[in-house]
Amino acid sequence: MPVVKAVTCPVCGSLCDDIELTIENGRIVKVKNGCAMCEAKFLGYCCEHRVLKPMIRKDGELVKTSLKEAIRRAAEILAEANYPVLYGWSNTSCEATSVGIELAEEVGGVIDNTSVVCHGPSILSIQDVGIPSCTLGQIRHRADLIVYWGSNPWSAHPRHIERYTSFSEGRFEKSAWRGYVTKIKALVGRKKIQSAIKRLVLKKPSQISTHLEPTFVSPIMRKGRKLIVIDVRRTKTAEMADFFVQVEPNKDYELLQAFRALIRDQELAVDKVAGVPVEYLEDVADAMVSCDFGALFFGLGLTMSGAKLRNIDAALSLVRDLNMRTKFIIMPMRGHFNVTGANTVSTWQTGYPYAVDFSLGYPRYNPGETSVVDVLLRKESDAALIVASDPVSNFPHKAAEHLAENPLIVIDPHMNVTAQMADVLIPSAFVGIEAAGTAYRMDHVPIPLKKVVNPPRGILPDEEILRRILAEIRKIKKKQEAA
Amino acid sequence: MMVNLYPLKELKLPIVAECINPDIFQGKKPAEIEKLEVWEGNKQKKLGELFKAEIAETEDASENTVVVIHGDISRVKRIGAGMKNGEIIIKGDAGMHLGEEMKGGKIAVYGNVLGWAGSMMKGGTIEIHGNAGDYLGAPYRGSTEGMKGGKIIVHGNVGREAGAHMHKGIVKIYGCAGQFAGFRMHGGTIYVQKDCEARTGACMVEGTIVVSGRIESVMPSFTIEGVKKKVKIEEGEVVETPFYLFLGDLTENGRGKLYVAKDKNPHLSHYEKYL
Amino acid sequence: MELLIRNGFVYDPVNGVNGEKMDIAIKNGKIVEKVNERRAKKIDASGMVVMPGGVDIHSHIAGGKVNSGRLLRPEDHFKDFERKTVTTRSGVGYSIPSTFTTGYRYARMGWTTVMDPAMPPLEAKHTHEELSDTPIIDKASYPLLGDWWFVLEYLKNGQIEECARHVAWMITATKGYAIKLVNPGGLEAWGFGRNVNSIDDPVPNFGITPREIIRGLCKVNKLLNLPHTIHVHTNNLGKPGNYVTALETMECVEDLADGDKPVIHITHCQFCAFKGDDWRTFESGAEEIANYVNAHSHVTMDMGQVIFTDTTTMTADGPFQYILYTLSGNKWVNHDVETETSAGIVPFHYRRKSFVHATQWSIALELALLIKDPWKILMTTDHPNGGPFIAYPRIIAWLMSRKAREATLKKINPKARSRSLLPSIDRELSFYEIAIVTRAGQAKALGLKNKGHLGVGADADIAIYGFNPEEMEPSKKYKAVRRAFKRAAYTIKGGQVVVKDGEVLKHMDGATMWLDVQLCEPCEIELNEDMKRRFKEYWTVGYENYPVTEDYLAVSHPITVKADV
Ligand code: SF4
Ligand SMILES: [Zn+2]
Ligand SMILES: [Zn+2]
Repeated sequence: MPVVKAVTCPVCGSLCDDIELTIENGRIVKVKNGCAMCEAKFLGYCCEHRVLKPMIRKDGELVKTSLKEAIRRAAEILAEANYPVLYGWSNTSCEATSVGIELAEEVGGVIDNTSVVCHGPSILSIQDVGIPSCTLGQIRHRADLIVYWGSNPWSAHPRHIERYTSFSEGRFEKSAWRGYVTKIKALVGRKKIQSAIKRLVLKKPSQISTHLEPTFVSPIMRKGRKLIVIDVRRTKTAEMADFFVQVEPNKDYELLQAFRALIRDQELAVDKVAGVPVEYLEDVADAMVSCDFGALFFGLGLTMSGAKLRNIDAALSLVRDLNMRTKFIIMPMRGHFNVTGANTVSTWQTGYPYAVDFSLGYPRYNPGETSVVDVLLRKESDAALIVASDPVSNFPHKAAEHLAENPLIVIDPHMNVTAQMADVLIPSAFVGIEAAGTAYRMDHVPIPLKKVVNPPRGILPDEEILRRILAEIRKIKKKQEAA
Repeated sequence: MMVNLYPLKELKLPIVAECINPDIFQGKKPAEIEKLEVWEGNKQKKLGELFKAEIAETEDASENTVVVIHGDISRVKRIGAGMKNGEIIIKGDAGMHLGEEMKGGKIAVYGNVLGWAGSMMKGGTIEIHGNAGDYLGAPYRGSTEGMKGGKIIVHGNVGREAGAHMHKGIVKIYGCAGQFAGFRMHGGTIYVQKDCEARTGACMVEGTIVVSGRIESVMPSFTIEGVKKKVKIEEGEVVETPFYLFLGDLTENGRGKLYVAKDKNPHLSHYEKYL
Repeated sequence: MELLIRNGFVYDPVNGVNGEKMDIAIKNGKIVEKVNERRAKKIDASGMVVMPGGVDIHSHIAGGKVNSGRLLRPEDHFKDFERKTVTTRSGVGYSIPSTFTTGYRYARMGWTTVMDPAMPPLEAKHTHEELSDTPIIDKASYPLLGDWWFVLEYLKNGQIEECARHVAWMITATKGYAIKLVNPGGLEAWGFGRNVNSIDDPVPNFGITPREIIRGLCKVNKLLNLPHTIHVHTNNLGKPGNYVTALETMECVEDLADGDKPVIHITHCQFCAFKGDDWRTFESGAEEIANYVNAHSHVTMDMGQVIFTDTTTMTADGPFQYILYTLSGNKWVNHDVETETSAGIVPFHYRRKSFVHATQWSIALELALLIKDPWKILMTTDHPNGGPFIAYPRIIAWLMSRKAREATLKKINPKARSRSLLPSIDRELSFYEIAIVTRAGQAKALGLKNKGHLGVGADADIAIYGFNPEEMEPSKKYKAVRRAFKRAAYTIKGGQVVVKDGEVLKHMDGATMWLDVQLCEPCEIELNEDMKRRFKEYWTVGYENYPVTEDYLAVSHPITVKADV
């Protein structure tokens, strides 16, 4: 049976590229090295919700049609639109996004990617403060202090810790895996050790038991690689941390600013910040300034709560300030496997990472104004193209409502909620499984995606579908000009 | 000269119309005004396709061009952007970027205004009788060039980050303010007559923020400096009630002043022990 | 397709043509002896200057760092945009233009070849994706190799040949063009927030000095017979007193020179020609550098001219960028790349009235004018570090006209003015010399045989400028010079007219040049178990996914190089 090595996992922003797939009769039958999410995707992508035929809405019903007809209809909708939105892009290749941008420019639309509802706000703060960062290997080799803030990689980026941070082995820093096992031993009985080890080896997060007691045995000052978790709740990642700081919901900004003051050796005129006694914070601040190389990862728990984008402003400023004392970097935990790529391509072609409005014939950018969610909330758009995304199920209700009212084109392998509302639905191949391309890891390292099996008959990759729509639009426009 | 503009239809698409500016209208006939270019969605249009322009000669022969817009123009962006002279009166709601980079003259809105009103303003006055959106007077993304002068008065409430990166000038809010009022402020004055959400003055370096109502909380990176009997907002406007004076933001080694009315904020009384 | 450019004043220094009125014939993208006069399309260049297309040896136009700069600065470009036209894509400009705009703006000035000088190998695909999206111009990129762990380890052990083989593999794997060193050793140190302070300061954890790295890679460069020399951004860049480091860097490879062939290129030399102990006593070290270069033939360099404007500094020199952040207080991006390199970005405003900035402006011009041989000092701004490349016409005017220099001198910081050497320099470059510092010399330093000249067989990359040297004196009419270079009358790329009167006529792909380095014995690095093991240990990307495959290049133009190892 053929085994394909070094396959990149098209699931999360960790973009592990060491997956081995066994193929039998044109189907993936075995996945090696991947986490549970990875296995689920490679083994289960070809499930029953797959759309196999282009569809078009006629008299309120989605009916099957030819690809040619679907593309023609899609092109008509976009060519006629006065303010179309083109949204998605984080679960497809950079190559597809690139065509998407050309399409948006051609039809004078607004192109936006899913970062608008995840780390887009983080980008706004990067634009104010900057960002001291690095590639993930740098952390593996050098970091002796890892902080996860508002992020639970154990569940959302299962191999992040093992490949890049605490449990990875680098040139100057050893894995903290052993220490973690010892700690568990001290805390719980034999049975739990086994389940913990199972977790590490089998990576089945669902089997985790949940009652580890909180520990404040100040392991914070010990030598070697340390892990700090800061979150509103005790997540699974928090359980393995050397130090866990439970922050009052929506008070991250205050906590971050307190840290900023503390590392400048300022006295705080309060006893507690965000529900945490200042002495604890002083310990954590000490650990931060005394490490050799610190890394702060933040997730949506930080970006989407309380002060929102300004949480990130404070986090970036904190890490920047820490560089006066030691080496420290910060990185957003990007979710979708190629959301970073969508931002990257958009930036080099238009100057802006997301929420790009071409309606005036050149790129304009102002999230809040040109971001798709806001455009929909103000009911401004009059047509929509959705690629590899399901906004109807995760946008605010009012925005989703307006989206469904627009003539709606959906390109997706799945019959998701948005697809069900489509006026034109064009099924596509799974990028990274049935179609090749490039994706960018959360640290901006580009990694190729492989085509390991063929898509179902007649099904094209996003890139190709978009190219055909673009060509069709140009044809329509030529005709109009001639007329 | 007075120019009246009447929308010809309900405006649904976003419209960019920086030509609605007294400096540009000045001396033009209605037909010329209607020929000015605007964008409606992704189509370039003439102003006359969206608005009807009428000129009413005013009795007073002053040179001031007054533009009066009748109706809801909340979809129309960049009205009065960069204007230097004259006056715009909007009898209805107005769209984003109203009076952006304005240098002089006056804009009055008898309705609500969306985000970025008075963004990067350098001079002149904007008076909003309804509510204002987010980023009132704040700079464009990535820029630190906030308000450098002029005056913004809002009689209703405002959204987030009013007066962010402000260097000079004054913002008076007679309603409530959203979070981060005066964010990264470097100078100037912000007055909030009613309540303030959290993180007021975060990362401010200099300047003055006065809150007469209740403030949700004061950042831990501010220190209390004392209690003042009254605070002067501007020439002729003094608020006579005791205020706590906080200094901050420590994280930026800031010396900004945050005045918070004592009576409305008993939850801050614990700070008094440091005095 | 045949094309005939008639009656222009031709400046082609490689072939010794100095302003002679002559015709240039083009067929199938190349310059030929003659074409069929009746059939050929004709361009009347009478009263105009004809030069080879401009070549830029050092301009950050693509890749992760450049793109982070774009992302960081919406306020830099929101007012400088280009609308979509029937033929061209839209984009934004100012200091870090989007890719399409970059290509168009170079072409508008008559530039047709541009080298991106800093490619982190791990992110090479990104650089190439952007280069492929940069229209019209031909381009190439230099992988950053001065702090690559393989290099440090092999050189430490004295294994030059082994080092050379791995460098060869890397250049080909990244589709690179030259060996780039940035603050050698300092970037590895920056991994832990440190730096090196001289070329003899050992690199922490590696027991090797910058001197050994520079010499080692210089030898490697020779062993591999690469067309360009090592391309060096010196240690201590941007620090007062660093002209000594620059001199030491040049001296340290003096003995490796054979004949008159250069073995080292010192890039953006202005930034390493600082004298003085601190910013107060800061002064120009241009004279010392120029004296050295005038007496030696193993060095080429480029200017790194400073322009008084708001720009975005970006280099692989992480520690330098951090200093720039602490000096300016502006926003700061840092991006270290595992086992290889680092990068930093800080927006920066060069002000006329600042003593330091005005002195920097003067230093670059002093270098260009005091170094006698124009083949040794090439015109750059280290785009966008000294200023965006669209400022080239202004620099050309300063080089050609004392009057132009005086006009600017009048407006700068008085202390800087009184200390500037410029008032004492009369030299004014001719069009012939301008053709050297902006194209012929650049192509020669790069070893680009078909670029930078108009001889038979050369690529038909040509710029035509609307300036009549018979009627006007460039030194007096420097504003007309500026206008002429700002908008080329014609730019011809690969035999096609791509720009007319400063307007881009078509969007077409340019080629990406890269070195296919062939070793004597085809070495088995690709399959080598040791390499695989080290890959696993050193990088977080698998060995199979690391190299840049040719399909990342819109138009791939491999150049075969036969190595001596
Ligand atoms: S961590 Fe993410 S990228 Fe890696 S295998 Fe799991 S889902 Fe895939
Ligand atoms: Zn450099
Ligand atoms: Zn450079």
